[in-house]
Amino acid sequence: MVRRMLTGNAAAAWGARLAQVEYVPAFPITPQTEIIESLATWFADGTLSGKFVTMDSEHSMVTAAGAAAATGVRTFTATSSQGLVYAMEALYTVSGWRVPFVLVNVSRGLSSPITLGPDHNDVLAARDAGFIQIHVETCQEVLDSVLMAFRIAEDVRVSLPTLVNLDGFFLSFTREPVEIPDAKLVQEFLPAFHPQHPVFSGSQSLAQGVAVLDGATYSYFRYQMHRALENALEVHEEVAEAFSRLFGRRYRALEEYGMADAEIVLVMAGSFATKGKAAVNRWREQGRKVGLLRLRMLRPQPAADIARSLIGRKAVGVIDQNISPGLGGILYQEVSGALASAGERVPVMRSFIGGLGGKDISQGEFDWVLEALDGAKPSDGPVPCQLLFTDAEYEQVRMALSIAGKSQGGTAS
Amino acid sequence: MRFHGRGGHGIKTASRIVGTAAFLAGYEVQDSPIYGAERRGAPVTAFTRIASSAILERGVITQPDLIICGDETLLESPASGVLNGVEQAAALFINTRNLEAIRAQGKLHVRMVALDITQRTSDRIGKASALSVGLGAAAARLSGLISCEQLGEGVRTELEELGLDAPMIEKNLLLAQEVYAELETVTVEPRKFSATAVIHKMGYDHVLLGTPSILAPGNAEARQTGAWRVERPEIDYDSCTRCGLCFVHCPDGAIALDEQGYPVIDYDHCKGCLICLEQCPRHSIRSKKEVRSW
Amino acid sequence: MKVPREFYKGPKDIPHEEELSPGAPLCAGCGGLMTLRLMHKVLGENVVIVNAAGCMTLMATYPYSPIRSSWLYTTMGSVAAGAQGIRDALDIRRAKGKLSEQDEMKVLVLAGDGSTYDMGLSATSAAIHRRLDFWYLCYDNEAYGNTGFQMSSASPFASRTTTSPIGQQEPEGTFQEKKDMFELWRAQKPPYMATVSSHEVVDLAEKVKRSMAIKGPKLFLALAVCPTGWGFDPRMGDELAHLAVKTGIWPLKEAVDGVVRHTLIPSRFLPVEEYLRPQLRFRHLFEPAPHTEAMQAIQQKVDRYWEQVRKDEPAASPALNRGTSGT
Repeated sequence: MVRRMLTGNAAAAWGARLAQVEYVPAFPITPQTEIIESLATWFADGTLSGKFVTMDSEHSMVTAAGAAAATGVRTFTATSSQGLVYAMEALYTVSGWRVPFVLVNVSRGLSSPITLGPDHNDVLAARDAGFIQIHVETCQEVLDSVLMAFRIAEDVRVSLPTLVNLDGFFLSFTREPVEIPDAKLVQEFLPAFHPQHPVFSGSQSLAQGVAVLDGATYSYFRYQMHRALENALEVHEEVAEAFSRLFGRRYRALEEYGMADAEIVLVMAGSFATKGKAAVNRWREQGRKVGLLRLRMLRPQPAADIARSLIGRKAVGVIDQNISPGLGGILYQEVSGALASAGERVPVMRSFIGGLGGKDISQGEFDWVLEALDGAKPSDGPVPCQLLFTDAEYEQVRMALSIAGKSQGGTAS
Repeated sequence: MRFHGRGGHGIKTASRIVGTAAFLAGYEVQDSPIYGAERRGAPVTAFTRIASSAILERGVITQPDLIICGDETLLESPASGVLNGVEQAAALFINTRNLEAIRAQGKLHVRMVALDITQRTSDRIGKASALSVGLGAAAARLSGLISCEQLGEGVRTELEELGLDAPMIEKNLLLAQEVYAELETVTVEPRKFSATAVIHKMGYDHVLLGTPSILAPGNAEARQTGAWRVERPEIDYDSCTRCGLCFVHCPDGAIALDEQGYPVIDYDHCKGCLICLEQCPRHSIRSKKEVRSW
Repeated sequence: MKVPREFYKGPKDIPHEEELSPGAPLCAGCGGLMTLRLMHKVLGENVVIVNAAGCMTLMATYPYSPIRSSWLYTTMGSVAAGAQGIRDALDIRRAKGKLSEQDEMKVLVLAGDGSTYDMGLSATSAAIHRRLDFWYLCYDNEAYGNTGFQMSSASPFASRTTTSPIGQQEPEGTFQEKKDMFELWRAQKPPYMATVSSHEVVDLAEKVKRSMAIKGPKLFLALAVCPTGWGFDPRMGDELAHLAVKTGIWPLKEAVDGVVRHTLIPSRFLPVEEYLRPQLRFRHLFEPAPHTEAMQAIQQKVDRYWEQVRKDEPAASPALNRGTSGT
């Protein structure tokens, strides 16, 4: 075991390396490219045995990853943003084969306009693709989650590809101390891949991904995928427990921070949760009962745990680092749905959109959110989602519009 | 009403002729075909719903009042689904000249009506496989909802849409009138609906089961594509020189060579494309119209 | 002119074993199925067919499959990448001693012209670039057949498809020239590539057999006669495939490392009209009035093609000096 300064990208690559991945089909895209560069080097110098292959697109890359997993080798790949949505058809296709492999997505806002900063619209666009989704907060969690992801994906109760999501820049290019687990212990945690599903082989005929034109049979296979994803909750718990025994770090589908007596709760996902925790600490210092619930596992959704965690709180604010135009925040809907499924509601539920395209969420904005939640009443009636966006930022945007020669047209609100 | 036939026989058009005629007669109407994996020659199905008030139903018809079967050979094939819901149907119409033989088998407990549409089509328009108008006319008459004139309008509208020329449309109109005149209306009783479904609580099955994969190599052999055949190739072994051309050129691999090198046709799977007949240098393969056991 | 035969003297020598079971729910008289059947016979068992969306996708329709080897349906645009994943995984397992000799497989891509010429071209080009060891069979029926025959970039000039109908704007229907996929592939100099015809079974079998000694991309472009889309009686399918060769419209050739040779040149070329006339998709060239200009354009293109072959391949010249029909 060693501790080293690693970026999130390096941590992802180290996860794949310790998992002794055998096959990496790759395609470059910022801010993910360092992951595949590291792996390319390790295949080239013999640190990893198997094959690294540069593909022609993410669509091809995910197809090749799925096909290799269907042929029985441990496979890893990574992408980001446009790459993930370019691969969208292939995501659905390979998950339908029910083959395990790990895909790391480095979140980045989607075009148009093209941008480089992170938000979660890319990864949430893939939330129905039949992949398990784990959203991480720290570089350590990146590495640990890649290892856990293989074990979950390869479990016979699951047998599905697993996506580990980390935020571009805020994790991908950010170094922090990361403990690199001992390779022998990792082998104990994650032995070599022994496929539980039929794989391509000359001595066994297998037709996979066959057309199913009958609605009932199609429903059966799609629902089986749902069941497999549901199983991943239980499998994740077991895997997290095993991981904690060997490595001392315990992960849960949901992370509760300052939740024990919290009356006001922030719900967040990804690396910005760190900032949310700072706000919780500041308010706690003033004796305010504030907590944070971080959604680590988005698929399968730990709905019962979400409900259990939020029931009895006075006010819940979901900060979505994404926007579904015409709807608002996606996770707000998911959390509301989880509560509704449990037959419960909290008196005040509010939706905030922040951090789009990597825009900072400042502590001042967190304060604004917490004050809004503190002052909210159930009798307020419908409240639309609120974009976290300051007057100063608006002035800055106005300036850019003016430079772009657009000061003449239209009227600003 | 539910129409059955084979790809290329105008089954969809038959359902539309009745649909358009009923629409012109002022009814609420739905018509739709269903497309499966199968191709030309394979069984196809189409549906028409006619009502005097809004139709609160969609999709396939599992409980038809009228079943219109354009090809009697389909009655043998459970996969074609011709007989689904036949017990509650008011009538089963069959395009056949063999009604007595079918009846004599005693398998079907439904009112059966028959007419040789193929022959009449062949006589009137010179093309035995274009069954749409004859079948549409039969359905219109049996339903008792459509007058002969309205049927004619339906035929004209649909055939114009398909781009048929005026003389051909006239011939088809005569065919429609002839079929209409030869049949009688059947009484359709209103039906009541039935029990609440039993919903299955589905658990998780092993991944081996839960993927759209097939582990039985070549099990398509169980699909009897021979039922698609309209014409049947037959080999004259006296003149066969065992050149093997029919064997190599069969797209489906439905011709094997026996120990002496003579070709043997697998009639369970031969789709009747007749490429073998065309390729045989000695003309030792002939074709016969397919007649099945009914 | 035929190149000397190395493995199969005549049709009787074609392997008798069937690698596909009958019962595939494809059209009666499907030229694509015929080509796959013949190719598979020569490749033998232990093949994994990697399929792109198209007519052939419906060969395996749950719960039935005619494939005695293996099959993976991928997508329309990434079929060659699917082949890459399987081939690489087999190689990795082999290298690690986890794949026995008998478990080794040949990877065969099966794609129509829609995937090959349009959506999947990038993925295929990349697989050639990576020197992937695989076979690629394009069953080219010159349109999107599975969806009812819409224009693809393989649709030939003056053919009618449902999306290039005959009208005032475009009296020929398809006004574009068919993409020259052979030359597009050849620009990357794959170790082996060939055109084949389901009629010329020995030529086809010879090519497949020759390719089996070669490592790397092995690409086959097959003219797949399509009774449903082209509009002719299925029984004429093989004769039409023959006419495509005899008129010079579908040249039979191969290229090893990019060097082309023609493998079968008709002793006398028939006018292209003989091939076009029986097909409904070309009916507008004959009725109501002959469309002479379009017909001549098609003939001239064929003539020019063979004129170039005469220059490039002196060995083929004796046959070609007898002239093409249009000259």
